[in-house]
Amino acid sequence: MNRKYLAAPFSLWMALFTIVPILLVAVYAFTDAGGTFTLENFSKVLDPLYLGVLLRSVGMALLCTLICLVIGYPAAYFLAKKEIDPRGALVLLFILPMWMNFLLRTYAWLALLESNGLITSTLNRLLTLLGAEGEVRLLYSYGAVLMGMVYNYLPFMVLPLYTVLSKIDPRVVEAAQDLGAGRAQVLSRVVLPLSLPGVASGVTMVFMPAVTTFVISRLLGGAQFKLFGDLIEQQFLFTGDWNLGSAMSLIMMALLLLSMGLMKGFGDKEERGQDA
Amino acid sequence: MSVVENARLIELKDLSKSYDGETEALKHLNLYIRKKEFLTLLGPSGCGKTTTLRLIAGFETPSSGSIVFDGVDVTHQPPHKRRVNTVFQKYALFTHLNVFENIAFSLRLQKRPRAEVEKKVEDMLRLVGLQGFGKRGVDTLSGGQQQRVAIARALVGEPEVLLLDEPLGALDLKKRKEMQLELKSMQQRLGITFVYVTHDQEEALSMSDTIVVMKDGLVQQVGAPQDIYNEPKNAFVADFIGESNILAGTMARDEWVEFDGRGFACVDRGFGENAPVDVVVRPEDVRIVEPGKGQLLGVVESVIFKGVHYEMMIRTPSFSWMVHSTACRAAGDQVGLAIAPGDIHVMRRSAPAKGEGAP
Repeated sequence: MNRKYLAAPFSLWMALFTIVPILLVAVYAFTDAGGTFTLENFSKVLDPLYLGVLLRSVGMALLCTLICLVIGYPAAYFLAKKEIDPRGALVLLFILPMWMNFLLRTYAWLALLESNGLITSTLNRLLTLLGAEGEVRLLYSYGAVLMGMVYNYLPFMVLPLYTVLSKIDPRVVEAAQDLGAGRAQVLSRVVLPLSLPGVASGVTMVFMPAVTTFVISRLLGGAQFKLFGDLIEQQFLFTGDWNLGSAMSLIMMALLLLSMGLMKGFGDKEERGQDA
Repeated sequence: MSVVENARLIELKDLSKSYDGETEALKHLNLYIRKKEFLTLLGPSGCGKTTTLRLIAGFETPSSGSIVFDGVDVTHQPPHKRRVNTVFQKYALFTHLNVFENIAFSLRLQKRPRAEVEKKVEDMLRLVGLQGFGKRGVDTLSGGQQQRVAIARALVGEPEVLLLDEPLGALDLKKRKEMQLELKSMQQRLGITFVYVTHDQEEALSMSDTIVVMKDGLVQQVGAPQDIYNEPKNAFVADFIGESNILAGTMARDEWVEFDGRGFACVDRGFGENAPVDVVVRPEDVRIVEPGKGQLLGVVESVIFKGVHYEMMIRTPSFSWMVHSTACRAAGDQVGLAIAPGDIHVMRRSAPAKGEGAP
């Protein structure tokens, strides 16, 4: 019974640094610079310019999540295979980039993608060799930002998938084979359904940071390329319109809560098992 | 038993399996399994029985040798192409599917018509006594019920052979006895070949048509339960199947063997003169007689009541005999022991294996 007091420091921490700030954000969002109640901040966000950026953020986050899933699932499946012995080292390779500061990693991409950077210059030399006209520019584009996002968030997809896949009992896979399932059927009828909780948490863990991305877009997309995260940053650091920034943050939070709820419902349904 | 047909359904030819290239889990196994036979692979853990089963199922490929199924070499056939199904030790049910869909799994793969799937699954549910459980999630079931689902799932595709890997190992004693009877009657009713793996000698004796006793990757003896029990080929089999008094002895000449300090008439011949042998006498074959009568004189060391009989340890000059008898003697009593020639089993001395010695 007394054990609940052990959580007191954490509860205090949460109250001070999570709940109070959220309330503050809410207060800012529903007031104007003078402190009187208003909904004007929200109607401002409905401006087509801002809405466009929000849509782009959500769209890019969805695409990034999808790419991470498509790349990450086979990788996690491969890593989780029991026959592979040095999988510890391979898993490490996937996690290793996460040990480096994320800004540093993104700056590295900046260097690789700029016009005399390694990737761009190699690509251009190759194109010239093939007789193509003109130069390719990779940096400061939609693709570069997407690339940076996928690069940064891929481990968040691979890890939960790896955890779920490596927990699948090899006997269950054998049972499926035994009952007549070939490789593809084992995958589609047993492994995939059993790994759906991992898919759900991987998707959530990638989508959440992806939709709030800000620095990556500025570095790899250039000053003109804005995501919703950049807009929020801008309100607080440059424009000084904390009220608008808070309203934007609240909208973002609502969006995340909604998507989390969706994923949770999805994961639960799969765990309950499908009916005949 | 008479239902077993003589046709060889599965033949294992010179089958060997080593996992890391060094330790051999299975050494040159030669064995055939007949149609409708209940064959049990029996032995302690690490004897190669599960490896043999996994080779037949196709989960492992042998290092050498071949597997012939119904006249066709299936050594390199993947498991999903083989006409055998497996019941796993820990059931290995599909937790994302309910009971009905677990059982229907193989039928769904074959894209059988809906009505047929439903009928067959319902038949199976009835066979294993789980009517009305179709919609239940498999993790809401008890161990015994999960085992029934696993059996139904393996049987629904009407395999010619059912492989069972210690299927009752996780059940309590009472449930285990029940399931033994059920499995045996199911096997006879359906006329399917069962290959059963267990380390429980009682289970093997009560269910099997044929028992294969294995140890260290080698077959020790193949035979009907009665033969294995009454005529064990070596001290290991005698010790593993039932309880035994195993002594080192000398075969002085035909029909005369010496052990525990004196000579006994026996029925065995052809060992040569003064050959070192192992002598096995079952505890129920040692008769307690008046001191001075019988061949041996001993003192009762301990008495344990076992229900049907008393189990007594009786000390003679060089051995401690286990004796099962309905007559009770008190500890400290002096008794005579008599052994009939036909109850003395003489076998060639097997090189003493590591980690175990005859008492």
